[in-house]
Amino acid sequence: MNLKELLNRSGTYLAERLPVEKMNYASMVKKKEVPVHRLSWGYYMGGLALFFFMVQIVTGLMLLFYYQPTVSEAHASVEYITEHVPAGGLVRNIHSWASSLMIASVLVHLLTCFAMKAYAKPRELTWVTGVLLLGITFALGFTGYLLPWHQIAVNATKIGLETIEKVGDYLPGAMSDWPRQIKEIIQGEASVGQATLSRFFALHVIILPLAIFGVLGFHLLSVQLHGMSKGIDENPRRQEKFFPTFFLKDLRVWGVAFMVLFVLGLCLPFESLFPYPLFEPFDPKGSTPDGIKPEWYFFWIYYPLELLPLWVILLGSAILGGVLLATPWIFKNTSRKTLRIIAIAAGVYLVVMTVWGDAIYHLLKGQ
Amino acid sequence: MIDLFLYIGLPYIAIIVAIIGCYRRAKYSKYSMTTRSSQFLEDKQLLWGSTPWHIGVIVVLLGHLIAFLLPQVWAAIVSVPWAVFVIETVGVAASILALAGLGTLIYRRVTSARIQAVTTTADLLVVALLFAQIVLGVLSATHFRYGASWSTGTVVPYLWSLLTLQPDMTYVTGFPMLFKLHLIGAWLFILLLPFTRLMHILAVPFQYIWRRPQIVIWNTARRRQQAVAATVAADSRREFLKGAVGVTGATGLLAIGVSNKALNYFKGAAADPEAESALLEKKLRRLELTAEERKYELERQRSSMILVAPYKDLDPLKGKYFIDYKMAPGLAFRGKDGLPVVISAKCTHLGCTVSSTLDENGRVMCPCHVSFFNIFTGQPEGGPAKDPLRKIDWALVDPTGKALITGVAGNKPEGTATPEELAACSLFITKPAPAAV
Repeated sequence: MNLKELLNRSGTYLAERLPVEKMNYASMVKKKEVPVHRLSWGYYMGGLALFFFMVQIVTGLMLLFYYQPTVSEAHASVEYITEHVPAGGLVRNIHSWASSLMIASVLVHLLTCFAMKAYAKPRELTWVTGVLLLGITFALGFTGYLLPWHQIAVNATKIGLETIEKVGDYLPGAMSDWPRQIKEIIQGEASVGQATLSRFFALHVIILPLAIFGVLGFHLLSVQLHGMSKGIDENPRRQEKFFPTFFLKDLRVWGVAFMVLFVLGLCLPFESLFPYPLFEPFDPKGSTPDGIKPEWYFFWIYYPLELLPLWVILLGSAILGGVLLATPWIFKNTSRKTLRIIAIAAGVYLVVMTVWGDAIYHLLKGQ
Repeated sequence: MIDLFLYIGLPYIAIIVAIIGCYRRAKYSKYSMTTRSSQFLEDKQLLWGSTPWHIGVIVVLLGHLIAFLLPQVWAAIVSVPWAVFVIETVGVAASILALAGLGTLIYRRVTSARIQAVTTTADLLVVALLFAQIVLGVLSATHFRYGASWSTGTVVPYLWSLLTLQPDMTYVTGFPMLFKLHLIGAWLFILLLPFTRLMHILAVPFQYIWRRPQIVIWNTARRRQQAVAATVAADSRREFLKGAVGVTGATGLLAIGVSNKALNYFKGAAADPEAESALLEKKLRRLELTAEERKYELERQRSSMILVAPYKDLDPLKGKYFIDYKMAPGLAFRGKDGLPVVISAKCTHLGCTVSSTLDENGRVMCPCHVSFFNIFTGQPEGGPAKDPLRKIDWALVDPTGKALITGVAGNKPEGTATPEELAACSLFITKPAPAAV
């Protein structure tokens, strides 16, 4: 196979995945249809994640008006927002609730797309960009957690970053020092401090959102170009117009989501779900408090990390990442029935680890 | 005499006639209790006449009724100045809306041939009277301002005196002519109620609000086909209207709620001197802490020895935290032999700070993942940590600045001191030799 043939082939491949000839009003808006069947609710999840992302942008920008990213001011400014700024507590609360809801809907979106075989040709690249978006979303959660600079957050971040260093134990020779260097590049100095806060702030507020905009742009464009996937094996009973019928339904779901979010934000402080007092600023000289935990959306990997040797987790996450990225090719010929069973199993694992992870940990550790 | 008739005789006559008349008509001529709809003959002008008319007049009538039936509630409401303002504005606006609608209806009634064919004298009388009555009402409202407020002490007691059969017209005889005419008009309407189409007020078809639209047609094949199309159109228009009302209402509420919160958010905290100074104090304290830490950092870069604590402050069971040359936490105990035990407090598992209290086995615990360390050897004893805690170089320095005993990691302590000398000493950590870094 010479170079010209290779170029030709990849050209054809890309043209199939990115049908730019469909980039017009008629096929993207007028003709697009959504199948109606028993799994149709899955079609709302991506839009819902998008909605929560938009909420995050707006509330995040609002928080930026008051937040100060320095080790001496960060905690005080968050406290100031919560206690003194009118509706500041509400805005911060909505930001934290929406972050959790965004991650939850992204995860459900992932599982439903998998169960509906939405990654099948020609939508492979849509899936891959979706996996990238999942990674960026988790990174946003991880970086955002540090910004209030309270005891739990700083210590949890420390632990999270030290885990990277531990990878060095499994690498031979000079390579064993690389993870430590990577860690120090991320945190900017020998231990978590001002440099880390500045870097996480930049990541959380500018770099990762910009990355999302880019990848999300491609993701949404290819969704619009290819239309909705069929989702089930048999032909759907009927189709409905994407615009305006499904779009209005989407808006309705968003409206309900906003109402739920607003009421949650008004009535239930996000912190009230935690068993520890959050409002202790980080004290570099104090001892580490008990009960350091990451946010709930990391429980699915946090508890196994606590229970199993690190190499098992490393191997597992490497396999998981690889499988996720290569799903369109690995599960190319799998039936939707099998996919649904795998998705349900994964969903059950996520729920069990998130809700009962602590109980399982204590059960197995015998404490 | 004429007043007596107009304010006491006429009301009672009107009420008695209305009750008996309405009863008889409802009983003997049930199907005449209608508004004698003419939508069938003409529906375009009717839409722009009937709708504003009814919306306007219902709002106005409800205002009158509430003021009359719930005088206490009404008085409480109108005691708020801006509430009176709102009520008056809404009332006049609704009246003008009703007048506009009624004007359209009158125009339609006198210009359309089809409507003319079914118009009775009573119809004309009723519309003319209604028009006059509302004009009188608007004029009274604008000439004698804040009627919503002053009527509670005049008209309402008068009406109640009639209702309780103790008629007292002293409240109303002093009224200006404009308002007297409005009042007399009201009794005329009650009098006319059983004899005109006005009686449809008592037969409001509320169920129409929920009923699917019906279309009345001439029964021919062509008309039937048209009717199907018209029904579909009417149905979809109805759905659209319902949806639009819902969306507009919800969006409006949402916009009000959100913008209220957002505006205040950007406006910032109201200046409360006490809270502000407390906040300032807190910020200053944090800044001092940061400055202190920066000082530590500089000190560790520049000096070869750093004070941990006076020797007498060291405890065998409760360690003293300090910051070592790597800016990581360290712990200092007094060992069994009286010499200090100085060890890093940074857990070798994931870098948490270990606790400072010894348990009965001479171990400290890291709270993150429950690793135990023997502080004398530094070795981990149970838990996920694999590597020992780092030992830190130290020196005991007497008040003159002479190092009596020095301890370097991995070696035995060098030097001696008497207990008295020891008590006067202070514990320092010493900069590790460059090769060891």
